[in-house]
Amino acid sequence: MKIIFRLVLAVALVAFGVWIWTVLFPSPEKVIRKRLTELARTVSFSPNEGNLVRLAGAQNLAFFFSTNVEVNIDVPGRVQHNLMGRGEITQAALGARSAVNGLDVKFPDIVVTVAPGKQSAEADLTVEVKISNEREPIVQEMKFTLQKTDGEWLVTRVETVRTLSILNFEPPRFPSIVLT
Amino acid sequence: MPAQNQTAQRVQPPQLPNWLRIALVGRNPKVTLARIGILVVTCFIIFKFALFPIRVEGISMLPTYRDGSVHLVSRTAYLWHEPQCGDVVSIRLAGPHVMYMKRVIGLPGETVAFVNGQVLIDGQVLDEPYEKLACDWNLPPEKLGPNEYFVVGDNRSMPPEWHTFGKASRDRIIGKLLL
Repeated sequence: MKIIFRLVLAVALVAFGVWIWTVLFPSPEKVIRKRLTELARTVSFSPNEGNLVRLAGAQNLAFFFSTNVEVNIDVPGRVQHNLMGRGEITQAALGARSAVNGLDVKFPDIVVTVAPGKQSAEADLTVEVKISNEREPIVQEMKFTLQKTDGEWLVTRVETVRTLSILNFEPPRFPSIVLT
Repeated sequence: MPAQNQTAQRVQPPQLPNWLRIALVGRNPKVTLARIGILVVTCFIIFKFALFPIRVEGISMLPTYRDGSVHLVSRTAYLWHEPQCGDVVSIRLAGPHVMYMKRVIGLPGETVAFVNGQVLIDGQVLDEPYEKLACDWNLPPEKLGPNEYFVVGDNRSMPPEWHTFGKASRDRIIGKLLL
């Protein structure tokens, strides 16, 4: 009985140690996932937010991206935008905040692949955007490329993934989100 | 003595009526526990690997599937055969939490076109009894690759630019809608 008790205690201690280790030294996948979730929260804004809060939110957004970031958003029938650098992202975020009343962005699925050197990574994610006053959410798959810079994971490239593609059909654009 | 009686009353466990005890834990608690365990494991295996529930969000599958309705997707449906024309399938995006739900209308190697709202497969009109809303789409022919399926929603009353449809590679089709 005493041996079993000691064995159980030892297993519990090891499990606790492993848990503490993962909390103190999280894996790059976990860090990136957390960072992207924060990014989604920063992009979102509610209809009753004040102007100063909206401005701060748009400016904070820049810190998730590298200085030479390249963003290509191409949602069929919605928006097509190519942005270069943090400045254009901040401008686009400010434009979106003035164009729509509220925005709720979520990344329900984030699949992270870290490169062998653990200095760069790719995240394939599903973006779900709910615009206030619009009934249906916009769902789009996107690919984020991240680079570790000064200990922080920064987004260097954002691309749209065409889950369903049609070669011979180019839908007209009806921008519900005006990014510039 | 009265103090001893009081102590004895406190220690005595509360007695449940027999019918309630049987209703809660069964005649043999060990057997009940084993049954619960088997049920939990079976449900876990079924809902993890074979079937998964989905909730429809949006109007692109109207009138067949309504916004907010709950259905089951079979992950094992395409283990032994490939998706067929007319099947309603779930198509994954980055992960398992959000999926597209569409109907297969074109199979690998076929050419799909829309002419005045009618679907043409290799030049022949496709019979679509599930499509009940008026459609006036015109789209040029699209040749499907060896591993591609053409999927579209049942509600084509909206303009095509508001509808998500097109070619999906086979590896993105993860299951067939059952109910």
